[in-house]
Amino acid sequence: MDNKSQATGGKKQSQWTLRNIILIALIAIFTGIIFWGAGFLYTGLTVVLTPIGMAPFANDLLMGLWCMAGPLTGFIIRTFGSAFLGEFLGASVEVFLGGQWGAGAFISGLVQGIASELGFTFTGYKRYDWVGLNASIFTTVVVTFAWDMIRNGYDKFSLPLLLGLFVTRYISTFIFAGVLTKMIVKLLDRSKAINL
Amino acid sequence: MNPGMKLLLVMLIALEISFTQSLVVNCILIAVSLVYILTQHVSMKALFGIIFWPLFPAVGLFVSQWLYGSAGIHFAWILFTRIYGYVFLGATFTLTSSITDLSLTLEQDFHLPSKFAYGVLAAFNLMPKIVEEVQIIKTSALMRGEALHFWSPKLYFKSILSSIQWSQNLAEAMTSHGFVEDYPRTHYKVIRITALDWILFVVLFIIVQVLLFFIRY
Repeated sequence: MDNKSQATGGKKQSQWTLRNIILIALIAIFTGIIFWGAGFLYTGLTVVLTPIGMAPFANDLLMGLWCMAGPLTGFIIRTFGSAFLGEFLGASVEVFLGGQWGAGAFISGLVQGIASELGFTFTGYKRYDWVGLNASIFTTVVVTFAWDMIRNGYDKFSLPLLLGLFVTRYISTFIFAGVLTKMIVKLLDRSKAINL
Repeated sequence: MNPGMKLLLVMLIALEISFTQSLVVNCILIAVSLVYILTQHVSMKALFGIIFWPLFPAVGLFVSQWLYGSAGIHFAWILFTRIYGYVFLGATFTLTSSITDLSLTLEQDFHLPSKFAYGVLAAFNLMPKIVEEVQIIKTSALMRGEALHFWSPKLYFKSILSSIQWSQNLAEAMTSHGFVEDYPRTHYKVIRITALDWILFVVLFIIVQVLLFFIRY
């Protein structure tokens, strides 16, 4: 975890206070635990899809769910690195709860963290609306897909299958990291529980 | 071995085998990790878990690559062993190291600001309470005739409300115990990176490079 640069970044009032760090970690762990409870879904889908060789679709169908912590923490703590930290910690939770990925989850967490952070970076940490969220969704899908081309051998698939996987992943990410995140942020905004 | 160094080594190797395509090296890494895990007296249940659960994604990837991949069955086996490689490499760390030692060494030896090391550690120590809290949120919603699922915004909303409250409490508790942000600390438990750690790290890393260089199958 190289948060050193993030901690020192920002000349004005830094958002990286002890409280905010704990807040990001807690939100990441909460979401990590909620997904972990949905882990049977992944296993079930994989079992069903394996005989027809379509198991990667289980991965892509649920991708949005795994990439939710990033946009969520990015929206709540609006500063450089918060989406990365949230997403990375969310993935690490699975390692310690005993997920099926092992060290793979750490690396996926790194990749997904950078992926969702990039969207906020491209909008200069200024657009905390539908545009900023969509930028984050876009970078998440593209970066994680590129990573799966290498890691999970997607690059050996034919083009139609690849397109199918990409579209599936985009829809999944759009629904979970996009629509659902937006709804949660709206609830938070209305409750005035935190100054967004 | 120092937990920070161990994690770094494991991540580096895992990252490397994501790019390389050597079935034999993957198998060697799995075997060596397994032997190491066995010498560390881990529970049979944990061992069973790391063998059984990865079977689903590994077989899934294998079959799809076998049926639809352009690189044939050898590549399918590489992906299969790669999944197990990740899990076993990861297990050499997760089954033998504590998260407390990890954050201590990250702070003391890797110069992670202490507010990150202790803040994240404090949050992780609440993990059992968080599992409980998710259950409480779901149950209390059920009592009002409302079922919350992982796709319900309300479930996350209430989780975040708890997080806001808890983070405030934790931060205040830490401050009142004398924790000052961005201020040098003394340590009750000192963790150092020893010469042996460095030697092990470098030697193991070089061995993996040599193996990957010479064994291309």
